[in-house]
Amino acid sequence: MSRGWLDGVMSSSAQHPLVPLARPPRAVPPPRPELTRVRECLITGTAAGLARHLGVSTGLVRAMFVALTLLGGAGVLLYLWCWVFTPWEPGESAPSRRAPVAWVMLVGAAVLGLLVFPELSDYRLTMSPPWAYEPNGGSTVLGLAILLTLVALLVAAALWADLIDRHDAARGPRHAAVVRIIAIVLIVWLLVAMLVQPINRLYLLVPFAGLLAMFASSLMHRWRELSGERVRRIREEQRSEMAAHLHDSVLQTLALIQNRAGASSEAARLARAQERELRAWLYDGDAPADSDLPTDLRDYAGALELDYPVHIDVVSAGLSTERASGELAAAAREAMLNAARHAGGEVSVYIEGSTSGVDVFIRDRGAGFDLDEVPGDRLGVRQSIIGRMRRAGGSGTVRSDENGTEVHLRIAGTPLRSEDA
Amino acid sequence: MSDSIRVVIVDDHSIFRSGLRADLDETVEVVGEAADVPSAIAAIREKLPDVVLLDVHLPGGAGADATGGESVIRGSAPTTARFLALSVSDAAEDVVRVIRAGARGYITKGSSGVEVSKAVHAVAGGDAVFSPRLAGFVLDAFGAVAGETAAVDDELDRLSAREQEVMRLIARGYAYKEVAAELFISIKTVETHVSAVLRKLQLSSRHELTVWASERRLL
Repeated sequence: MSRGWLDGVMSSSAQHPLVPLARPPRAVPPPRPELTRVRECLITGTAAGLARHLGVSTGLVRAMFVALTLLGGAGVLLYLWCWVFTPWEPGESAPSRRAPVAWVMLVGAAVLGLLVFPELSDYRLTMSPPWAYEPNGGSTVLGLAILLTLVALLVAAALWADLIDRHDAARGPRHAAVVRIIAIVLIVWLLVAMLVQPINRLYLLVPFAGLLAMFASSLMHRWRELSGERVRRIREEQRSEMAAHLHDSVLQTLALIQNRAGASSEAARLARAQERELRAWLYDGDAPADSDLPTDLRDYAGALELDYPVHIDVVSAGLSTERASGELAAAAREAMLNAARHAGGEVSVYIEGSTSGVDVFIRDRGAGFDLDEVPGDRLGVRQSIIGRMRRAGGSGTVRSDENGTEVHLRIAGTPLRSEDA
Repeated sequence: MSDSIRVVIVDDHSIFRSGLRADLDETVEVVGEAADVPSAIAAIREKLPDVVLLDVHLPGGAGADATGGESVIRGSAPTTARFLALSVSDAAEDVVRVIRAGARGYITKGSSGVEVSKAVHAVAGGDAVFSPRLAGFVLDAFGAVAGETAAVDDELDRLSAREQEVMRLIARGYAYKEVAAELFISIKTVETHVSAVLRKLQLSSRHELTVWASERRLL
């Protein structure tokens, strides 16, 4: 056994170099599109999706379904099966149907009703129960079948409009309501007509059940909305409860640690970073994390506080039209880094965005320095801050004395206006 | 005794109260402590402090939405005590709420004992205590950033040009002394401007301020 296995391995490895040569290169077929339903569809997108997957025309697939339907209804079953088990193609938009399916079903029901109605009593839906023997029982069965079809069409139209057409932009805003009202009116009319005629009361159950089914769909909506709302509320409550608890206990403790440990100690910095993170999680949890300038600088301040013995207070006022990726943000980050590295202690960052431009002030309480005395090969301030701002069409000024240093960065709000001026 | 400032600390965390008590310098005398709204009101009635250090978030507030701090200020209404709000949160609506209820200033709990003592002295002397963040918020809320300037000094809904300058410098992290040096005015004048802004903050019916207040059913 093991011998044979070994042989097999040996021989196959020995033959291996020959195999690619012996076999003619095979053309790789282009990958088939996935079997998905088309979102811009006629009715359900099943036929179009299947046609795309098989690489044939949509008409051919439809013809195949129709032909199969003639074989004892197999086409209908296949269609339904494909419909249920084929997913929508990936995409954001709600599916849009060209065919007004609900209206077609309504009109079908109306036509059928008009054709059949005057002779409803001819169909022997008589006072005797349907299972009782009738001399010409065939028409009783036919009558029941017609009644069921009629009600089924009406219910299907109402449900289709309510459940499937709900998010379809191709239908009007009042579409579902109108279709449902017409369907309900028709079914009530049918009920009344059946009451008037000498018909076995048992058959009244059929349109009545249809009416119930229609209302059930709207009840289902209501229930789904209600339960969704409840879940949301519960989650919101839990969240705020937790936020309140954390606020009272953890944030206070973190504040106390900072307080007792001294502003620039390791423990205080860690506590502050934790506090910042927790606060962001508690209060900005659901807000989208857009990267505007204040948010970006606040994040950067948090990172700097971890690396340097510094406490950075970022304050912002006004609109923040400036992008976090811009030159202003880069220069501001450089200035904050300088302040953290050389001055430490308390650093204030103030961002003011107005229609005329954006100002950023970075102030520290360090020993200060003289810009002219900075050696020419040190590029930090001159290139990364002042030069960068000038290239971006703004300005950067550094003011420094023994009480600290303040960097003022300014960039005009709209470049067009500054050129005009 | 006469020159030390009598202070009541109101905070629901005993560990924070004792920490703060230990941190305050000797010119500040802690005469009482309270942990919730009713005991705070009782302590203020009994001890008649100069300054109340008040946590914004307290248990036992009157309304479901009230966070306690403003209930204390309202509950002890006829009093000579001045309120300095202490908050662990920087959220603008929290701060604005206590300021509008009557607090004379606001500092964060991360502030050191020296800073708190300084703020207590300022509040006791009738001045307002503004943090850079509060100054930034004021500039924003009064439309100063958008270029709105009061034509008359006592207009409630907008800041005068001088008040805007002072607020901008405070937002940039300047101390009152530095603001005074920068604008070539006396510290007393800076304090006057700050008090004027505080008054506007308390009395103004500006939309941005009232939105927060009405959201919390304050007005």
